This record gives sequence, structure tokens and C-alpha cells, in this order.
Amino acid sequence: MSAGQVSADRGSAHASATRAYRLSVAARVLLAAGGGYAIAALASALLPLILPVTRAEAVSAAMITSFAIMAAAVIWVFAARTVGRAALVLGLVAALLTVALWLAGAVQAGASA
Amino acid sequence: MSRPRSFRQSMAWLHTWSGLVVGWVLFAIFVTGTASYYRTEISHWMRPELSETAADPVAAATRAGTFLQKTMPDAAAWSIRLPSAESPAVTVYWWRSFAGPFHHALLDPATGERASVRDTHGGNFLYRFHYELNLPPIWGRWIVSACAMNLLIALISGIVTHRRIFADFFTFRRARSAQRGWLDAHNVMGVLALPFHLMIVYTGLVTLSSMLMPWAVKTAYHGDILRYYADAGILVAGRPPVGRPGQALPLGEIVSRAVAVMGETPELMVVSHPGDAAATATVYFEEPPGLAHLHPQIAYDAATGAELGRVGEAGAATRTGAVMVGLHEAHFAAAPLRLLFFLCGLMGAAAVATGLVLWTVARVPKKGAPEGLGLRFVRILNLGTIAGLPAGLAAYFLANRLLPAGLDARADREVGAFFAVWMLAALASALYPRPLAWPIALAVPGFAFLAIPGVDALTVGEFRFIGFDIAMALLGLLLLLAARLAGRRVLARNPAQSRLHGTAEA
Amino acid sequence: MTLPALVLSLLLAFAGFAALALSLDRHHRAVFRTPVPRGRIGSLRAAGWSGLGLSFAAAIASAGWSFGPVQWIGSLTGAALAVVALIAYRPRSLRAAALAALPLAALTLPLALMR
Repeated sequence: MSAGQVSADRGSAHASATRAYRLSVAARVLLAAGGGYAIAALASALLPLILPVTRAEAVSAAMITSFAIMAAAVIWVFAARTVGRAALVLGLVAALLTVALWLAGAVQAGASA
Repeated sequence: MSRPRSFRQSMAWLHTWSGLVVGWVLFAIFVTGTASYYRTEISHWMRPELSETAADPVAAATRAGTFLQKTMPDAAAWSIRLPSAESPAVTVYWWRSFAGPFHHALLDPATGERASVRDTHGGNFLYRFHYELNLPPIWGRWIVSACAMNLLIALISGIVTHRRIFADFFTFRRARSAQRGWLDAHNVMGVLALPFHLMIVYTGLVTLSSMLMPWAVKTAYHGDILRYYADAGILVAGRPPVGRPGQALPLGEIVSRAVAVMGETPELMVVSHPGDAAATATVYFEEPPGLAHLHPQIAYDAATGAELGRVGEAGAATRTGAVMVGLHEAHFAAAPLRLLFFLCGLMGAAAVATGLVLWTVARVPKKGAPEGLGLRFVRILNLGTIAGLPAGLAAYFLANRLLPAGLDARADREVGAFFAVWMLAALASALYPRPLAWPIALAVPGFAFLAIPGVDALTVGEFRFIGFDIAMALLGLLLLLAARLAGRRVLARNPAQSRLHGTAEA
Repeated sequence: MTLPALVLSLLLAFAGFAALALSLDRHHRAVFRTPVPRGRIGSLRAAGWSGLGLSFAAAIASAGWSFGPVQWIGSLTGAALAVVALIAYRPRSLRAAALAALPLAALTLPLALMR
């Protein structure tokens, strides 16, 4: 995959391009499955703590919307121009959700204490 | 994926591959799920010894209670499905722990003893295969759910990929090239039933959401799902055992009270901690008319018969979820609408099957070029699944009629026949001569389905099963028609083979 | 959600889809061997969408707002499949079938609305 390899001959350049392509696909598949699920899980954990409806209703809403959230994340991973970009955006969203979850959890713990 | 590409190109790639990798499992999920719309009818046909006269539910409940008291007095719970017009036998389950094993028996409502009926899993096997694949439940459900998520992705990316959904809405160019015909067939099956496909895959995920997405219950209820169910109006709240022994009323007494209050007979009764002083008998009524899968419930103190509580009113979000589950199971659908759901399910299976075949047709090597390993692998799996699974299904029904009634572990042998014939059909179809593989592989289950009415007439021969037998004959004819169409393609192409780059068969 | 109600939605949706298909050159050619006359496109489309609209109205009137939409969408799938099959295998009979669907729908109407 280095520049030297590519200039060596067309055959190995082609082989390394194929390998890069396969690695990129594998990375996207892993990112879509793991990252997509993580974002859906974080969102569904957060929603009941912030939705302004009864606790049970919020849980129901979180459960039925979580799959749409995962589907959207997966589509994003495969639509993004590069794997890095896809991972960056997914990571940012996950970090935001985690912070929000921590804040909402802290607020709730404080209120119930 | 290595170079920057347009959104639509990425989605076309995603549609092809997300569909292919799970296509074979999806096909089996679609076929067994579609059959499950007629689970009750299948179970009836597979237990021809059961009469169809409705029994008295009060007496039946008391007798079932006596049977369960004798069988497992210290169970964690008993469940009793009361006799009804559609299902005259009493089905009981009992278990010592929620981790299983779950024991079950079919009782004669008149005696309260095990009904003398051939041992079979009936339509339940197909129903459970649909979401557990006959694997350990947790594994099966996660695999099926992963396939469902893949299908959701394949549907979304397929919609994006399809440039001319409206312009090509009615287009099926069967006379053009093989690839064109398969692409059009795939589009027609996918697009015309698209609302159903989106509905069925999303609602399927929602049906398993308490396992797939427990995180909301984790944060809001510290993982106490029963409390969430009670709060949401899904289940009536239970109560823990007190550890002292108690004497329960005859279960029929509870049923009488429930009938007196609600004016209708409950369909199910669950007794938690029987034998304990705090034993609870909960009765479940049929869903009121509507789409939502929400059963009215009343909990009774099993010892005194006092009402302990009822299920609460479900809010909008919970009701939406319940409507999704209801739509997936389609219990609400009367016969005509159920038939349309069945048709849509078949179109789902056909969309998966045509997609799988299309993958191979689009990759047929140019004349003289060798066929790659991947292509051969996919082609053989296609034959083995699309033509093999129907053969297994026919064998499952035939085994029900042909295995001796008193055979040991008979129910499991029927399931064994299903898998054995499926595998045999798959292996055989890998050996058929290439151009004839599809016609032969499809004709085998076609004739097997056609044999079912005849075998039924010779072994049981009851007029009330005529509907099921006609349905089997129609399925057989449908498969033979498919075999003929596949064969005609071969005949039509052979004279012009030199022009049409070799065997363009799938 | 009776049988006549479902048949009514199906027949109206079938007639509607047939008209919509005939407003497209490719299918008009398959049925009549000629492209759609320019002046006909508008009326065929109007007829088609009214067929689908009437099918929706019939489903709601006979089955209510909860089952009605489900029944209607199911009818759309069944009717569209029938139109595609006719165009592919018996294109010449599409017009006659669509025209026959209308009086049949009129016949099922009283049965469908009788609940």
C-alpha cells in the first residue's frame, strides 16, 4: 500500500488496491454493525431520561424508534466518502450521546437523592 | 468503496451485498413466517384426531389445574390455553424456571388427561423456525434480527438505487434478456409489496425489541422489565411468592368470575407460583377489535378468587408499538385480508429469491470463461435454499401423515424429515445437469406438494381438511409452473445459444 | 372487513392501476400497439388516481380508520400485481378486465357497505 509498492509494477498495485478495497469494506461493515448498534443503544438509553412524557411511554417510544436510528447510522457509514469520515461522525455522535446520558443520569440521580 | 463515489452508487453496492449475505436465511424466514399466518390451520391439519366440538372452558380449566397439580405442583408457573371454537383442545405449559425447560402437553378438555393425538409440533415448528431457526432461542433470535436489520438496510438502499420506481412500476419484460427479466421480476416483487416489506421487517424488530434494545428499560427502570410492562399497560403487575403453602381454588372458579366480569371467556390463564399462599391466576382475553396487540387482563388471588388488579390503559407510544406487533402477527386479519398478507409474504420470499438469482445471472462469465468459485457457490446455495426448503416443507407435512402414530419421539422425527429432505434436495440439486437444474429442482417439491392431498385422503380422509389440501395442491401447481417457466427459458435459449453468450441460466 | 369490502377495494384499485398503466407509452403499446394519444394521458391519469382514491374511500367506509388503511394498502399490492401479470402475459385483455371491474365493483358496493 506504500508508494514504492504502487510504482513497482501494475500487478502488485492492483493487488494492493484490491486489498485496500477489501479492508475498507470490512471496516465499514464493522463500523456499521458495532457503531450503528452503539448509537441506537445510547439513544434509546437517553430518550427515556429526557422525553417529556411518562416513564413507561418514553421507554416504549425509545424502543420503537431505536431501529430507525440504527438504520440511519448504517446508511451514513456506507454513504460517507471515506471510512475515516464515517468513523469520525459516528464517534462524535456517540460522544455527544454519552455526555448527554451522563448529564441526564446525573441530573436524575441528583433529583431522586 | 475505495474511490469517492456517488450516493446512489454506494447504495447500489450496499443493496447488492447486504441482500446477498443474508438472502438465504431471509428466504427461509419469509417462507416460514408466511406459512405462520396459517399456524392454527396447519396445527389442526397435523392433529386430525382432535374433534372440533367446543368444550366447556370452566370444567376444562379445573381439569387442567388438576393435571398440572399432579404433574408439577411446585412449578414457577403454569399456563393454560382454554378451549375455543378454533382450538378445542387445552394446551398447557409448565416450567420451574424462566430459563426453561418449558414442558408442554395437549389435554383432552373432557378428561383433563393427555389427548390421544399423534405427537407433532404442528404449525408451531414453522412459527418458531421463523424467528429462532431451530437454534437455541437466544442465538436464533439474534441471528434472525441481524438478518432483519440487513433487510431493512437492503430495502432503504434498494429504494435509493431504483431510479424509476414510478416509471417502471408495472414493468416486467419477460421476453427480453434473462438479466432484464430477473431484474424486472425483482423490482415488481419488491416495489409492489414495498409497504408490506417495510412494515414486516420493522415490526419484526420491534417484536423482539425487549431483547434487542433493553437499554431504555435499563436506564429508566434499572432493568426491571416487568415493572415497565405493568406501567405501560402491557401486562398486569404480578406479585412475589410469600413462601408459605396455600390452597388454590379450582381454576374453573376463576374462569367463571372472569366470564361474569367481562362477558367473554378468557383465552389464556397463567398461574404464578401455584401452591404458594400468594399464588396469582391471571386471565388474558382476546384482543379487542383493532390493530393493537394488547390483551385485556385481570389478576386474581388464586386462593380467594379476589381480583388483584387489571392491566392499565396504554399510552400513545406503547399503543403504537402494540399496533406494530399486531400488524406483524396479523391476528386481527379475517380470512380475506389474511390471504392478502399471505400473498404479500410470498412476494417477499419471491423478492429475495429473484434477488439471489439476479446476482448470479448478472455475473455469468462470457462464453468460454470459467465460472468462478464464488459464483458457483452462490448458485448452488440458491438452488438448495429456494428449491430445497419447499421440498423440506412438503416432507414435514407428508411425514405427519406417513409416520406411525405411536412412534417414539415422533414430533422430532417430523422435524428430522423436514431437515433431511431439505438437505437431500439441496445436495441433489447441486448435481443436476446445469441447464436442467432449476426445472428439476423446482419440480421435485411441486410433485411432493401435489402428493399431500392424495396421501391425506388415503390416511385420514376427512372432508374438513379439504381447504388445506386444496392449498397444498395449489402450491404444488405453482412450483410446477415455476419449473415450467425455468425450463422454457432453457428451451428458448438453446437454439440461439451461440448468440446469447453460453448458458445464461442462473 | 368483510369479503365484499375487500373485493370492492381490490376491483377499484385494479381499474385505477390499469388506467395508470395505460397512460404510459410502454404499456399502452403492449395493449394497443400504439403510443398513448397525447390527449388521453391526462384523462387516463385522472381516471387512475380516482380509482385508487375510490378504493381508499371504500376501504375506509367499510372497515373504518384502523383496518381501512391496512386493507387498502393490501388491495393496492394485489391489484397492481394483477395488472403487471396481465400486461406481461395477456396484454390484450387488460382493457376489458379493467372495464369489467367497474360494474363488478358497483355490484359489490351494497354488499360491502352492509355491515
